[in-house]
Amino acid sequence: MLDMTEQTSKDATINKGQPIIRLEHIRRDFDTRGGHITAVDDVNFDLYPSDILCLVGESGSGKTTVARMAAGLLKPTRGQVFFEGRDIYEMNKKEFGEYRRAVQIIHQDPYASLNPIHTIGDMLRAPLLKHKICKSRAEATKRAGELLELVDCRPVENFIDKYPHQLSGGQRQRISIARAMTLNPRVIIADESVSMVDVSIRVSLLNTMLKLRNELGVTFLFITHDLAVVKYFAWEGNIGVMYVGKVVEYGRTPGVIGRSVHPYTRALAAAIPEADPDLTRSKEKLQLRSLDIPKLTELPSGCVFHPRCPYWIEGLCDTTKPKLIRIDEYREVACHAVEQAVARGEDPRDLAVTDQLANQLMRE
Amino acid sequence: MSDQTHDLDARKERDRIRGTAESTAPVILSVRDVSVEYKTPYGWMKAVNNSTMDIRRGEAVALIGESGSGKSTLGFALLRMLVRAARVSTGEAIFTDKNGTTYDLFRMTDKEFRTFRWDKMAMTFQAAQNVLNPVMRISNTFHETARSHGWNDKAAVKAKTLDLFKKVQLDPNRVFDAYPFELSGGMRQRVSIALSLLLDPELLILDEPTTALDIITQRAIIDVIKSLREQLDFTMIFVSHDLSLAAELADRVATMYAGEIVEYGPVRDVFYRPEHPYTVGLLNAVPPIVGEEFTPLVAIPGATPNLLNIPSGCPFHPRCPFATDICSTVNPPLVDVGGTHFVSCHNRDKVTRDQEVWEEMEATVGA
Repeated sequence: MLDMTEQTSKDATINKGQPIIRLEHIRRDFDTRGGHITAVDDVNFDLYPSDILCLVGESGSGKTTVARMAAGLLKPTRGQVFFEGRDIYEMNKKEFGEYRRAVQIIHQDPYASLNPIHTIGDMLRAPLLKHKICKSRAEATKRAGELLELVDCRPVENFIDKYPHQLSGGQRQRISIARAMTLNPRVIIADESVSMVDVSIRVSLLNTMLKLRNELGVTFLFITHDLAVVKYFAWEGNIGVMYVGKVVEYGRTPGVIGRSVHPYTRALAAAIPEADPDLTRSKEKLQLRSLDIPKLTELPSGCVFHPRCPYWIEGLCDTTKPKLIRIDEYREVACHAVEQAVARGEDPRDLAVTDQLANQLMRE
Repeated sequence: MSDQTHDLDARKERDRIRGTAESTAPVILSVRDVSVEYKTPYGWMKAVNNSTMDIRRGEAVALIGESGSGKSTLGFALLRMLVRAARVSTGEAIFTDKNGTTYDLFRMTDKEFRTFRWDKMAMTFQAAQNVLNPVMRISNTFHETARSHGWNDKAAVKAKTLDLFKKVQLDPNRVFDAYPFELSGGMRQRVSIALSLLLDPELLILDEPTTALDIITQRAIIDVIKSLREQLDFTMIFVSHDLSLAAELADRVATMYAGEIVEYGPVRDVFYRPEHPYTVGLLNAVPPIVGEEFTPLVAIPGATPNLLNIPSGCPFHPRCPFATDICSTVNPPLVDVGGTHFVSCHNRDKVTRDQEVWEEMEATVGA
């Protein structure tokens, strides 16, 4: 068993030992009215204790589907989900129960995820008593108070007997975090957990979650479409950028944000407006060949990004699917153009060269 | 290449001037002491409180603020599209068109306003799918809008519509006869922008034009709005919770808090020399995204107030690290601090972006 206190955040990716959660070649298909779709295709992740992994992507990228499979809420069509080395679908009931308790979820909408007819105290006491973490109601109330303190809901008396409607959106989301913490989980899966709260409140919620990770060693799988949130929350962790069901770039956060390699990640970074008038108006844009995200029912051949990609190589990208290749110690990228640049001995992280080339190609 | 660089420089220079210098263009919309209230079971709730601002012809003005700040309510009030439970309780808004005719927005009759709206002043809504009738082809929506304003020449309407579609980068042939459900969210938003421009309005209000769209689609909408402003002659007010959208598009920015305009000025003044603590707090919470440097974020302490129970004095004082005794009793007026930059704060000389001050405050107030 790994000693969690020994891990330094700096070495998030090179942790040795056993991952808490491992996703191996997971794929998920859905039959919809529009036809058969593959929402997630061949995704692999290892999540080590007190890691932070952010999945970023636009709508339809499959990030939530991955999260639901990691949480055991959705069975992969293919591939396996491992919890501490054991396949969760081959576990016995007791083991599966342990896994369920160890992996908790914080949902997006704190207005929908809290039962309006229960007080905050009831909500926090129920799991404590049900799972026999506390033996009496009094003990459970005491523990509920500690949990509220943990998520910065102070003073506790102002919260414990309240109903959800008496709290603000930010406060409700704190209650969701406290509830996720009742069973002392090792992993928290947060699906767009701060997207519905205002910017001024968002930061303090992220700080609360970071505290859980830094002080209690909770591992986070964090799903979001907001690169600003990712940059702040996962600075010491990893990012997986997803595009229509596939991971296109994976690596340590500062590198992926600061010197993105995959053309899709770059397009995202270039497209985001910044809260700085001079910076945002002079930002170099990366022109895509098409604005439209492909329909999941009619995925393009070869690389799914090729119809939009400015680096597109005819005859290769439209026929062959690129594999995730490791381009340096931390980074994996699925792109033929990048692969070729590496083969030529170029550094694909060298933004200036490649983007100039791309913009030139676009003008021609 | 050098030509392009030159163009870019010229554009930057124009942006710079737009963002700082005092505009001398005539005022197109003068908003004076406007308050809007909603009727609730607990009494009248003030969503907009004594808001005053001048909007000059040709400018792009951003109204920014968090949920409940009154920014959308103000936008809806100006077009008299408030829900029934709301009323404009004080103030006036005077619109001056390009011929110099003035219109008193809140005192026109309903009939007069129906002709005025969309013709002089139009709006693009946040949820574009709610604007477009799901059982009507896009073409019908455009024809009907034109007809209700007395424009019956169908061929001319079609020509105008197709031209607008080109301007918002939609494929006219694909979109004109389509139903709304056949279009993506970004396309519907562009249709809605085109619809608002059908009658060549002089002032366009955009409510959260990029909210709920994906990043790359957002960028496309931003670029469309930018190019429309270069090609057509209209003034623009846009409402957004997103500061970066204001940084990208606005010449002038108004920050709203608890129904009040607390700071209003040229975009570069507001972003680089903010003087209201709330604007400072917002800016501290949204650092640059690109780059390999980590920027720590600082939250604004506390939570937004309940509008039925707005704090006395300055509404921001319970969350403000710079508050003094006077702040809890006297609401500071919006004063000109130079260069058409207005701020309402008693202690604006003390306001700083220094993160320690904010963190200390957060530690004492809590969540």
